Amino acid sequence: MKYYLRMGLTLLLIAVIAGGILAVVNDYTAPIIKQTKLQTEVQARREVLPSATFFVKDSIAVAKAKTKRNPLKIVQDTSSDTSFFIYYKGFSADSTLAGYCYIASLYGYSSNVKTMVGVTPEMTINKIKVISQQETPGLGANCEKAEFQAGFNTLDAAALHVDKDGGAVKSITGATITSRAITNSIRAGLEILNKQASGSAAPETQKEV
Amino acid sequence: MALKEFTKGFVKENPVFVMALGLCPTLAVTSSVNNAVGMGLAATFVLMCSNLLVSLVKDVIPSKIRIPSFIVIIASFVTIVDLSMSAFLPALHKSLGLFIPLIVVNCIILGRAEAFASKNNPLNSVLDGLGMGLGFTMALMIIASIREILGAGQFFGMQVLPTSYRPMLVAILAPGAFIVMGLLMGLMNIAKNKKK
Repeated sequence: MKYYLRMGLTLLLIAVIAGGILAVVNDYTAPIIKQTKLQTEVQARREVLPSATFFVKDSIAVAKAKTKRNPLKIVQDTSSDTSFFIYYKGFSADSTLAGYCYIASLYGYSSNVKTMVGVTPEMTINKIKVISQQETPGLGANCEKAEFQAGFNTLDAAALHVDKDGGAVKSITGATITSRAITNSIRAGLEILNKQASGSAAPETQKEV
Repeated sequence: MALKEFTKGFVKENPVFVMALGLCPTLAVTSSVNNAVGMGLAATFVLMCSNLLVSLVKDVIPSKIRIPSFIVIIASFVTIVDLSMSAFLPALHKSLGLFIPLIVVNCIILGRAEAFASKNNPLNSVLDGLGMGLGFTMALMIIASIREILGAGQFFGMQVLPTSYRPMLVAILAPGAFIVMGLLMGLMNIAKNKKK
């Protein structure tokens, strides 16, 4: 009996000490991790929309997404039947609209491919930047290369299909699935923006950064 | 005597090529030298710390619960590495991704805790951990160099082969890892047999 008690207490002691140390480490690193994450996002926004000097967060109500593989950064409103598409309006120094940007993300071949997209006020792509992916090295991972990303510049929603689907995006050799995921996720976002621009409903805005 | 505990990890008891331990991370992270070094050093740190701690507490822990105790100790160090890496080296953390938490189940670390640190004094255990860890890092670097040069024409992310070189894609995909590792193990064995 005493032996079993000792075993349990030893394990308990080890777990308590380990838990305590980890709590301290987590307390110390969590704000830094959050900060770096925010910074990379802000930096990516600047990169895809260099003419903008400040950004305003905004959202568009869209019909509730049916699939789990949602291509866009969407916040679901559980109380009603709508969800919100989050995007940012970029303004230049004299407060004229410089463009929009949003994060498009869709499951590619082996991971979620996240892309920061910059859109001009004329609803064409200004620039895109793949911000996170874990695709096959040497194939899908080539979507981080500048040649591929530059192929999106100046395209509008209608042209945003990979070349195999009759669009203007030159897909990566041997990685059509990755190319398609990126292209389709970007198009889905641009279509929502397009609809919003042609409609009139003014969405609530909330300032940030 | 103590020095021997340090050097054995490189060739004589190399964890990858001789003991064939920790092959999952070996195969997975060696597609670029950068990742290999990051993974190797993270594992070395965990190995050293856990070896030290295990050899310090080995007499207090009843033998029946030694494995769960070791796992808790190892997992704590891995979490520390995981958190600090994502705070201070976010780029490396992103590319190593899932493999950092998986250091917990890397059999080199549990293997050394069980087979060495729980039977030896703290100094030898730290030296053993350092040697094994660096031996692991070295093995990863050798495999990764071959794969990255053949598969992408790059070394440490820098172009080393002329751009006209068409990358040998198989080297950077999973089968390439098996092939390169198998050939290297074979070479090690040939060299060893000749010595005898």
